[in-house]
Order: sequence, then structure tokens, then C-alpha cells
Amino acid sequence: MTAEARHGRRPGAARPVVADVLSRLPLGLHRWLPLEQRADLRHALGRFQPDEDGSGLIPPPPAPGETTGPPDYIGMGATSAGARWWHRLVADHPEVSNRPDLPPARHYLSHFATRPFGPDRRAQYEGWFPRRPGTIAGEWTPTYSSLPWVAPLLPRAAPHARILLIVRDPLARLPVALVGHEEDRVAQTGTAIADAVDGGFYGAQLAQVLTHVPADRVQVLQYEQCRRDRDGHLAATYRFLGLDDGHRPERGRQPTSARTGPGADLDPDTRDRLVDLYAADVIALAGLVPELDLSLWPAFDRA
Amino acid sequence: MQKVGRMARCGARGRCGPLWRQGALWHGEAVRPPRAARAAFRSLSPRTRTALLHRAGYFAPWEGGFDFTPPALGPGETAGPPDFVGIGVQKGGTSWWYELIADHPGVTARPDLHKERHYLSHFGTEPFGPAQVARYHGWFPRRRGTITGEWTPDYLAYPWVAALLARSAPDARLLVILRDPVERFRSGLTFRLSQGALATESTVADAVRQGFYARSLRRYLRYFDPDRMLVLQYEQCSADPAGQLAGTYRFLGLDDAHRPDSLRTAVNASGTKRPLDPEAGLRLAQLYADDMDEVFTLFPHLDRSLWPSARAGGA
Repeated sequence: MTAEARHGRRPGAARPVVADVLSRLPLGLHRWLPLEQRADLRHALGRFQPDEDGSGLIPPPPAPGETTGPPDYIGMGATSAGARWWHRLVADHPEVSNRPDLPPARHYLSHFATRPFGPDRRAQYEGWFPRRPGTIAGEWTPTYSSLPWVAPLLPRAAPHARILLIVRDPLARLPVALVGHEEDRVAQTGTAIADAVDGGFYGAQLAQVLTHVPADRVQVLQYEQCRRDRDGHLAATYRFLGLDDGHRPERGRQPTSARTGPGADLDPDTRDRLVDLYAADVIALAGLVPELDLSLWPAFDRA
Repeated sequence: MQKVGRMARCGARGRCGPLWRQGALWHGEAVRPPRAARAAFRSLSPRTRTALLHRAGYFAPWEGGFDFTPPALGPGETAGPPDFVGIGVQKGGTSWWYELIADHPGVTARPDLHKERHYLSHFGTEPFGPAQVARYHGWFPRRRGTITGEWTPDYLAYPWVAALLARSAPDARLLVILRDPVERFRSGLTFRLSQGALATESTVADAVRQGFYARSLRRYLRYFDPDRMLVLQYEQCSADPAGQLAGTYRFLGLDDAHRPDSLRTAVNASGTKRPLDPEAGLRLAQLYADDMDEVFTLFPHLDRSLWPSARAGGA
């Protein structure tokens, strides 16, 4: 993936000389800056994260022989639950177009809470999914499921897309999710924690998706089952996407950065409080997804 | 500079210094830099200002570095659990309403303590035992014969706070002011961005989530009887502040004949709001429709006609 794609730089954006000089500094030097100012430096360099205002929404030009169209699949969640791992396995399939210069998490729909989403935007979104003849294309933005405005956009943005969601024991997921909020915790501790906690209410997220997408176009995977039997569940995902289920990726037997152990880093009191907080949602999720194996989420096994 | 309330001065090694009066860093008697220095400081970006304050050891209660050692008691003061806790909502007129409550002679509201203690905000994934409860109580000094409390508008949206409040202040009376959720969203997002928050999906998502009032209030109703909860409507408070304030005083067990000098002081108004496209506004209203329906069912004294988004979204 190019630096421009990673950092969402606007195509052709002019950069001041100072910014050019700064951009040539050794990697990691930005860590000397206070947390609060790192974003300012990135923005001064014309770099924006894909979910930030200012990131480029203009799609890349299709390569020779490629066409564009609405995504065939959209992974919507959940954060810190193995979505990146599973998307790599999906993208490894030879019948899937996966241009390495495009971020797997497009975050395009993240920008439309306050902006209009009309036909021009739909066409622009489709431009983000170039594909070779005979292949499918899609994205996996794990935050989509916890952005309440995204699911209502799906019938317009991707009316035929298949939706993927991977869920993980909320207690095991939470400490991992909190790691990604270091900068936010300096400025707004409670809001950063709430953001991480909120990502674990899968039942509510799935219920919202199902009000906008037919159930037969939604596949919910359980992270723990995927780890235990990668090939079996991957074959099911391939079939769900209309792909040959005989493909077996050589790499990615296990997620590369997985942390194991339900409730790691949580003291018993906090753990009990979180179980109480999530219990009703887990029950709702189990009602929507009969395949969910609650014995793999020990704290909720008797929920 | 934003009103920071009681700020603790903590050095890099955790050394804590004196308490500061509300806004004292720039406006009080203890520190008063020259006018030019204050103007130069204000001209910096919010994030740069915050970075400088943090480097100097100043943190606000909602920030990670704040020192939660309770304040020293004044002469004749005692500490204990809060008698009332305002739990929401951000940009719902809570600073205005808190000041009207604090004006009552039967209420202790020390000017060096921020109305938003934010203490419970920090315990989403931290242990909260008797020591933490006692520390929380230390933040509520009061004179004999008076009541005291806090109003942290974010508490409503933080899903872990209801349980902690039931544990640390089971007899407290809860206050919440609701406002048309789409208007609240606009105002809340404008406010967060003006305070230096990055314009990211999580900032927007936080602003959206805070408008799902029924979902949040249900958590409190698990732990608190409805008669211990006063749900006010911002639009009703704006239209009839005297009547609504008298009702608030009665709810808190205070003499409802008290009349503050001014009922209409604007506090923390957001200024020019971030634009919201009409089509996106309609989508937001539709997003909130079911939740608004539940709000009006749970609290029938609220006036649906005062929320334009309830009509637009079909609630």
C-alpha cells in the first residue's frame, strides 16, 4: 500500500516546503511530539487517517482492464475481533480483487453522518471497488457496525452487498480495543472508554443491520470458532460470498496480533460489572445467531 | 480558554500542588499573566493549548492526568455521598441549570470545584471498591444543613456509570435535561470540535450516541426508582424557567420560593453550529425515532411537539 493510500492524502494536494522537509524525517520521530499535537503535524503534512475529515473521498483510477461497481461484500465489524485477519483470508482468494494500494478499511461511509448521500456519492463509493473481470471486490471497515448512521445507508450505497461481521468475547475484546485509544484517553478518558465498550454491543449492532439488510445476506462469524477451525469457517465464508470453497490460504493460520484469555487485564469486580453490562446484549445476539457457541465465552455461558 | 474548574497541578513525577479556583489559571488571583500573554495563548490551536497546559501539569477532570485526591474540607464542612447527581445531557443546558440550583441557599457549591466531577467516568475498566467510593464522597463537601451534588452530563452516555452510582450514591436524586437529539447532536459536535477534538468518525459517533436517551435511561431505571429521577426538557426549561426551576427545587427537597437574580444567564452556548445537511438531518431524525418514542412513553410529561426532529423522523 502506498503512503498516500495509508494516510489518505488528497491526490495532487500541494504541500508546503516545511511539510516536505518534515515528511523526510526518520520514522518514529513524531513520537517525540506531545500526543495532542501529532495529529496537527499529520494534517500539516497533508495526511489524514481514512476516518478523519479531510481524507480524500475521490476514488483511485481503475487500472487497465478493471471495472468498478458497488462492493460485493462489506465487512462491518467488529473492531479488535479479528476482522483484519479474516479480511486478509478473504482477499487471498484468487476470485477476489484486492488492490494492494487501497486500504482494506475504506471508511468511506464513515463520513456521511452529516453530509448528504445522493447518487453522486454512491457512484463515488463504487469507484473505490475496482475489480478484474470475473472477480468480486469489497471492503472491511470494522468500525462501521458501531457507527449508527452506516447501516441505514447500506440499501442505497450497496444494495446487493453481502455483509460480514466477526464477533469476539466482549471481555476479551475490550482490553485490546482500549489499546487503540491512547491519544483519546489523554483528552477525554470517559469518551475513549465508552467508544471501546460500545464496540462490544454486537447484538444491538446486528439488530440494526438486520433492519436494513435481509438476514440471508448477513454472515456472523465467531472469532473463537474461526481460530479453532479456520479452514471450515473460511470455506463457509467463501461459499457465502459465492466463491470456490476449495481455496486454502497458506498463511494466516492464526491472527498475527491476537491476545488470548477472556477478560485479560480485568480485575474480578470490573469483570463482573462488564458481564452485567453486556449480558442482555449477548442474549440478544445468541437469539439472532443460533450458531454462536457461548461455551467459548465462559463468562456468558450461563447468561 | 475553556472553563476548567478545579485543576490539579501534577508534575511529571506525579507531584501534586495546590488547588486552583475555577478558571484561576488565567482568570483568578493566583496566576494572572499579562494581557498579551493571554491573547497569545488564546490564539494557539486548542490542541496546542492543551499540550502546553499538560506540560505545565494542568489537567481537567475529564482528562487522563487529573489528580482525584479530594479537596480539603473548609471550616465546618463535612463530606459524604452526593445528594443529587445530574447525569445528562451534554449541551442540554446543564451548566445553566446547575448554576440556578447552586444559587439556592440550601445548596453547597464550592466555586473551586467543577460542576462536572467526572470521577465515575474513569472507572469503566478499573476496580471500584470501598476506597474508590470513599474518595468519591470526599468530592462533596457541604456546610451543615445544606445539600450538595454534581452534574456530569457525560454520565448518561457512559454505560458503566449507572451501576457505579448505585453503589456509591444509592440515595442520590438524579437529574437529567433532555433536548431535541438532532439539535443536541449539532451543538455537541460543534462543542467537541471547538475544544480540539479531531474530526474523526469516533468523535461524530460519540455525538450521535449521546442522543439515544431512552437506551441510556433504561440503564439507570435498573438501579433507581423513577421517583428518584427528574427528567427535564431543555425546551420547557427555556420557555418557563421559573416554573421548571421551582419543580427542580421541590424535587431536591429545597424551598421552592427561592428566585435567583437572573434565570436566563446563557452558560457555555456553542456559538455557530456545524452545518448539517437537511437530508443527513432527516436520516438522523429517523435514526432517533424509535428511541424518542420510548422517551415519550417512559416520561409522558415531556412535550413531543417541542422537538422538531420527533415530527421529521416520524417518532
